[in-house]
Amino acid sequence: MTMMSSAGRPRGVGDKLSRLNWTIITLLCALAVTGVIMHFSVAEGSWAGRPLAHGSRFAFVLAAVIAIALFDARVWLAIAYPVYFGTLALLVGVEFFGETRMGATRWLDLGPLSLQPSEIMKIGIVLALARYFQNLDPRHAGTLLWSIPPLLMIVAPVTLVMKQPDLGTALMILMAGVGIMFLAGLRWRYIIPAAGAAVGGAIAAYFFVLHQYQRDRINTFINPEADPLGTGYHVAQSKIAIGSAGLFGKGYLQGSQSQLDFLPEKHTDFIFTMIGEEFGLVGAIAVLAMYFALFLLTMAVSMRARTMFGRLAAAGIAVTLGLYVIINTSMVIGLMPVVGIPLPLISFGGTAMLTLMAGYAIVLSIDLHRDQAATRGLLW
Amino acid sequence: MTTAKRDLHSVFNRRAILISGGAMTMMGAIVTRLAYLQAENLVTDTYTDEARDNRFDQRIIAPPRGVLYDRFGETLAVTSPDYRVTLIPEQVGRKNLEKIIGEIGAILAMPQDAIARKVREANAAKQSDVVIVRQGLRWDEFSAINVRLPELPGVRAESALVRRYPQDIAFAHPIGYVQKPNQREIDAVIAAGDERRAVYLRNPDVRVGKSGLEAHLEDAIHGEAGWRMVEVNAAGRVVNEFGGETRDPKPGRGVVLTIDAECQRAAMERMAGLSGACVVMDVVTGDVITMASSPGFNPNEFVNGISTVRFKELNDDPYKPLFHKAVTGAYSPGSTFKICTGIAALDAGVPTNFRVHCSGYFPFGGRNFHCWKREGHGTVDLHDAMKGSCDVYFYQAALRAGQQRLADTARLLGLGVRYDIGVPSVTPGVVPDEAWWKSKRRDPMPAGIVLNTAIGQGDLLASPLQLAVMMARVANGGLAVTPRLVHEGPGVAPPPTPRQLPINLEASKVVLNGCFGVASEPGGTSYRSTGNLGLWYDPATNAVVEAPTPPPGHLQVQMGGKTGTAQVRVITAAERARGVKSNNQLEWRLRDHALYVCYGPVHKPRYACAVVVEHGGSDEVRFPGTPGYIGGGSAAAAPIAADVMRLVLKKDPSNRQAASVRTLEARNEPAARRPA
Repeated sequence: MTMMSSAGRPRGVGDKLSRLNWTIITLLCALAVTGVIMHFSVAEGSWAGRPLAHGSRFAFVLAAVIAIALFDARVWLAIAYPVYFGTLALLVGVEFFGETRMGATRWLDLGPLSLQPSEIMKIGIVLALARYFQNLDPRHAGTLLWSIPPLLMIVAPVTLVMKQPDLGTALMILMAGVGIMFLAGLRWRYIIPAAGAAVGGAIAAYFFVLHQYQRDRINTFINPEADPLGTGYHVAQSKIAIGSAGLFGKGYLQGSQSQLDFLPEKHTDFIFTMIGEEFGLVGAIAVLAMYFALFLLTMAVSMRARTMFGRLAAAGIAVTLGLYVIINTSMVIGLMPVVGIPLPLISFGGTAMLTLMAGYAIVLSIDLHRDQAATRGLLW
Repeated sequence: MTTAKRDLHSVFNRRAILISGGAMTMMGAIVTRLAYLQAENLVTDTYTDEARDNRFDQRIIAPPRGVLYDRFGETLAVTSPDYRVTLIPEQVGRKNLEKIIGEIGAILAMPQDAIARKVREANAAKQSDVVIVRQGLRWDEFSAINVRLPELPGVRAESALVRRYPQDIAFAHPIGYVQKPNQREIDAVIAAGDERRAVYLRNPDVRVGKSGLEAHLEDAIHGEAGWRMVEVNAAGRVVNEFGGETRDPKPGRGVVLTIDAECQRAAMERMAGLSGACVVMDVVTGDVITMASSPGFNPNEFVNGISTVRFKELNDDPYKPLFHKAVTGAYSPGSTFKICTGIAALDAGVPTNFRVHCSGYFPFGGRNFHCWKREGHGTVDLHDAMKGSCDVYFYQAALRAGQQRLADTARLLGLGVRYDIGVPSVTPGVVPDEAWWKSKRRDPMPAGIVLNTAIGQGDLLASPLQLAVMMARVANGGLAVTPRLVHEGPGVAPPPTPRQLPINLEASKVVLNGCFGVASEPGGTSYRSTGNLGLWYDPATNAVVEAPTPPPGHLQVQMGGKTGTAQVRVITAAERARGVKSNNQLEWRLRDHALYVCYGPVHKPRYACAVVVEHGGSDEVRFPGTPGYIGGGSAAAAPIAADVMRLVLKKDPSNRQAASVRTLEARNEPAARRPA
């Protein structure tokens, strides 16, 4: 490993800072600012409460992320398994000691801290799988036998999260995990039958595993007009908001659907609708473009990284981001059933922001230290 | 195996690009979907319409109903703002209801049980319902609530339109009352396809006339609803009252009644504690000056929904306060019908000097028909027979006229006819004749029926209003006046000149003279109460003054009248044996009705009056010889008629300028324009 380029091994903090991926940071900031702007509108033109909380929370988290990113990247490799198995233990804990809110047991009460282990698992699975493939003999990569451990590592948390029940998060963990296995070189000859089995399994799951409310969501997704005041209400109102918005929207603070509360959950899962209503098609595409740019930049980081761990971890974060955005926007415009996934950095709520920003601490760190060899022996 | 040779980094890169491509495809799908939703909207406007429907709600603004005025502009029914304090349970919060209502109660000094009742009501109400905690607030109470509102979440102090009847019980029967339209009425309107009217009827401020003139005049006075587009939120609550498109409601037109409120009140007060009716009518125009039914009820109780307990109480009252006795009550006219019998007989050729000997009874068809005066009246002519109410004279006279002529004359004089005066349940009464008998019975009509009819008993039935019409048509010289209640209002024309009835004018003069004898000659059955009204008039100016003795140059204002007693039940032999001799010893509901009809002033007849006192009794009549007897029906009914007529004759409402809607509305205009 030679360090000939100017992007050689970083030395001082100042140097490191200057070599951080500021494009990604700028995009993160732009998205968070979009969030603040939208929360200002949700609050009917007031800074108090959510807009301020959202902004200050982001600023605080971003500072922490930058600080953490400056550390050696190998720390992630070191904590990958502890994070994964620790979180898995917490998920088991939730199963037994969890706190039930709104019909779902997702929270673990740890004194002052209220923790949602399933959220940590979104990062945990990425780290753990990246860690697994980092050390895997390339000859074994993609073979059936050596795909069993990662598969189990995926299935265990997915099963626990499904039981909470939290279909959206389970789906995200599953898909991020599968995505990493795919990127790590899983053979097509296993992928194709597995995909077939997954479709069959999904159909079976609909009838035997899913809860009634989850089935309802899928049913109303297929035919939302059947129940416009029940589960289909959210999506119906959301479609009205976006459909009536026009190219440039109804104007900031002017979205009648949002401002008059026809749109439920507009500060969390349905905030994209509000963007669409107040800023129109142009605004919605602009936001999607920012996310897509962030996704591509993150993918670029992964492709630039030299270690398998760095590549898979960064790509895993990119996939996670993509899943967040695609699932959220698809569900609010009626392309997917409502599963309760927020729009990261824009939706209000600390957990999703924390999860994604933790992911970007990893991405930024990997990008900054991409020339380091990622072996345990070099750790510190 | 080529596994070892696989360049995992290249595989990764290829697949990363594949995933990015997949993500891009998904993004593309999402953007396409967004664009599709908007394109769909561009073509169909579906979402724009739905968003607007979501956002705006048309709120009906109830129009104020037309004001009802008495003849001289006194307000009888008015729609005015009412200050009230309301709350919405959802906004107050279930567990705070008791505390908040308690605080309101403390501010308004409401009694504890009223507070407890409101708490129960609010708990039973739907979450989003508006619960009226108290209405009819005084301004100072309204202000006190307003000041405290910030501490009372979910509580509102507001003003709403309320129909008020300032005369309380006095006009309950002719005017009736308004109420919220019930579901049946709304369903009927929907079934008829009138969606707009259904929306109007559902407005919480809208009331519809349920009885009396309020019901009859509904279409004429309800006005035209306005509306306002208000911005609402998802919960249907108004977030912006103003700025939306608005159309002001058009108030309903005012109506001036023919009734004189002063006379009406006097009649109601005079009959307080009695069950009966009093009607005073202008004999020239047919204007009803007074139409009182006693006991009354307070129509204000009905406007915001009367409790079932209270309604049952009113409905079960033996004095029947809800019953409009003046027009719905059908009574045997008793001897008051002798006016008609007299005219029919003279019409039939009975000479004016026809004389009859009354020995106390009249044998006919194998039985004796008694005169009320057991010892008989001796030999009497029509005048004496009227004055002393001799039954035997009228038996003989009626036999000469025959039942058919009696019935025909009765109809000419206004009996047996339903008058459409704008109040419901007007009875046509019953005038029995051959045709009527055949429609009811199979056996031939007995000849003796004419004797019953002659003295106003038997099947003959008439309302107080009809009796007043009868008196009026005789007093005005045979003009076919019909009663009317509305003096000026939408679609009301001035009364047509009444046609001359085909009755013998000479006969009617003789009968009127008999009536004069009854009321104004010593010995007349009502002379004691009607002989001296204490009213005097100046023959030059017709000006009337009230004085104990006649002022110089003045003549007495006199009345003519006829007493009547309608038998409700004959005292049975068993009762007689038990010692029940007098009608007044019977249970109240079995006692005779007392009646009186009269007109005045005699020198220039203008008003006719009919009074019925239900179960007024007739002690002295049935058993003469008791000291102080004064003749049929006169004890209870004639003094009331005298008192009411004294006021009417003194005031002479028909010769005063009546109010006009135009001037009244002009007077009210500034008040109506003032923002609530």
